[in-house]
Amino acid sequence: MTVAIGGSPVIRVRGLTKRYGDVQAVAGVDFDVAGGEIFGLLGPNGAGKTTTVEILEGLRPADGGEVSVLGVDVTRDADALKPRIGISLQTAALYPKLTVTEVIDLFRSFYATSRPTAELIADLDLGERKNAQTKVLSGGQRQRLAVALALVNDPELVFLDEPTTGLDPAARRSLWDLVLGLKAAGRTVLLTTHYMEEAEVLCDRLAIMDHGKILEMGTVDELVMKRFHERAVRFDRLPELTTAELEALPAVASVKADGGEMLLYTSDVGPTIGALLALTERRGLEPQNLAIRRATLEDVFLDLTGRALRD
Amino acid sequence: MNALVALTIANIKSYVRDRAALFWTLAFPLIFIFMFGFIFQGGGGGGLTLGWVDHDASPESAELHRAFTALRSNELVELPEAEARAQMQDGEVDAVIVVPDGYGEAITAGTAGSATAPASITVITDPSRSDLAGSVYQAVGAVLGIVNLGGRPPLVVPDPQTIQTENLNFISYFVPSMLGLSVMQVGIFAAIPLVADREKLILKRLAATPLRRWQLVGSNVLMRLLIAMVQAVIIVAVGVVFFGVEVTGSIAAVAAFVILGAMAFLALGYVVASFAATEDAANGMTSVIQFPMMFLSGTFFPIDSMPDVLQGVARVIPLTYLSDALRQVMVSGAAFAPLWVCAAVLLGWLVVCFAIAAVKFRWQ
Ligand SMILES: Nc1ncnc2c1ncn2[C@@H]1O[C@H](COP(=O)(O)OP(=O)(O)OP(=O)(O)O)[C@@H](O)[C@H]1O
Ligand SMILES: [Mg+2]
Repeated sequence: MTVAIGGSPVIRVRGLTKRYGDVQAVAGVDFDVAGGEIFGLLGPNGAGKTTTVEILEGLRPADGGEVSVLGVDVTRDADALKPRIGISLQTAALYPKLTVTEVIDLFRSFYATSRPTAELIADLDLGERKNAQTKVLSGGQRQRLAVALALVNDPELVFLDEPTTGLDPAARRSLWDLVLGLKAAGRTVLLTTHYMEEAEVLCDRLAIMDHGKILEMGTVDELVMKRFHERAVRFDRLPELTTAELEALPAVASVKADGGEMLLYTSDVGPTIGALLALTERRGLEPQNLAIRRATLEDVFLDLTGRALRD
Repeated sequence: MNALVALTIANIKSYVRDRAALFWTLAFPLIFIFMFGFIFQGGGGGGLTLGWVDHDASPESAELHRAFTALRSNELVELPEAEARAQMQDGEVDAVIVVPDGYGEAITAGTAGSATAPASITVITDPSRSDLAGSVYQAVGAVLGIVNLGGRPPLVVPDPQTIQTENLNFISYFVPSMLGLSVMQVGIFAAIPLVADREKLILKRLAATPLRRWQLVGSNVLMRLLIAMVQAVIIVAVGVVFFGVEVTGSIAAVAAFVILGAMAFLALGYVVASFAATEDAANGMTSVIQFPMMFLSGTFFPIDSMPDVLQGVARVIPLTYLSDALRQVMVSGAAFAPLWVCAAVLLGWLVVCFAIAAVKFRWQ
């Protein structure tokens, strides 16, 4: 899915850099986010996602580059931005001795206009805990409250730094619905994540980051197709078959042995499978768990960073 | 709702829900007051030692002398006036009674019905020793009642005078000192929750909202001033109710110094918050500031009896001036420094510390 970028983008980043001592946390980053888009930053630990996001939020100064958010030059006038954006930090920062309702009400008092507390509590499914002090909330509940606080002012642009880390699968899915709901309401969302599935479900476009750089950017399909035109034929590894034998099969572009799994990347699935089955039959072998799948973001990520996405 | 008010309320809720902190800020000075109050309360009950200055030396004045001696077990020490005042300053006598020249004649004229005005005797007391002043007036009242028998206009009236003595009744000295101490704590301990909020990234989160920094600082100041005032009311009330401390000065002046002092120590607290990276560090730094202040401000040890170096320190630290000012305005204590100097020193600390904090404080 490609999002047409009409008019000026909601976020425009050019040549962004930030250094901490010896660590080049952000090393020249360029990207645009269009209005109404969900844009994802995907990357391993220490990639520079949080640093980038917090510079856009006006919470950290950049060393160099241009950052314009909602038409505001963040380096000059972050204050003009604050009423219009909503943020949740990677680690939820909450007054420990206030209740969920009290914290939301407090944050509402900071904004000229705000959404009703009851609505936010219902949206983030915090009803059962609304009178609990935040210090006794579970990790996932804290995370949800942090997201509720990001939405207090009904912002045009929402920054969510790893919003679903620590959530159980049901809570994660309900948060995804919430984010998709924001998009449906015409809001723009910039989020960071470690979860490939999350990026696939939510992000219109995403950037894969590592070592402070964007390695690749586009829609999920674009990213996958750019690297892997092929489909992958996988089966449980058969030690009797050599890589050379497999590479000789028709239409096979490359062969990867990944743990107990064999992967044949092929540009034409039919002939490859036919030949594979003929080969195994001849050798008196039977491929187990044979499957055809599209290359995924996980494959892209592995290929780009040499690391698995999940920690 | 206004952000400043909402944040102040939130701060107060957080504070009140922290039972341990609440207990220590409110109970600590009270424990001290009760402890020292009961230890040093003894010593009353006996008769008064009165300085007796007789400028008249008439039979009538001798009669008055007898009347005083007869009453309870008062001891009268006959002294020249200057000597009597000096001894009262030093606490040797509790009060001084001066019989003026012409007292006898006035009484005679009065008894004959030809007096134009009643004779007066001067009664000098120390207003800060309210218990003693009360006893003296009881004695004087009893004696003059005897002298003024009959339905006629009184022959003799007391002419009250006061002088400040060096020895305040101990508890009267101690209560304002404790008030100063607790105001100091309310102020410098403001650093700790602030550093904790920074460590928890709460300040960073707030920085991403339209909340202004002055609102954040303002809410912290408001809340702390409120605590200081509540504490002041409790301490003064305990002093008055349980230990008979008499507030001789104006309540407004006491409140003004409580506020000024709290602001100066708050600013000092913000300096601590500017340099302490963690809550533990803030705790340590606060103690390092608190204990010398406590012991060098003249609360527990008189400043005059300290070694020169420590006297130098005592002359600089704000608590010396806050406690001194509170003693002066609450119980007419002897001045270590004039009130305007106390106010100026506190204001100086306030301005300097606030300036340092404004430059150095980090929000994340
Ligand atoms: N305040 C800081 N001081 C020093 N180094 C920092 C600071 N913030 C970030 N860094 C360093 O910059 C690099 C990028 O960090 P950043 O938090 O942006 O990564 P991230 O992509 O968000 O990682 P994660 O997925 O673990 O959250 C890291 O090496 C980190 O150690
Ligand atoms: Mg991060």
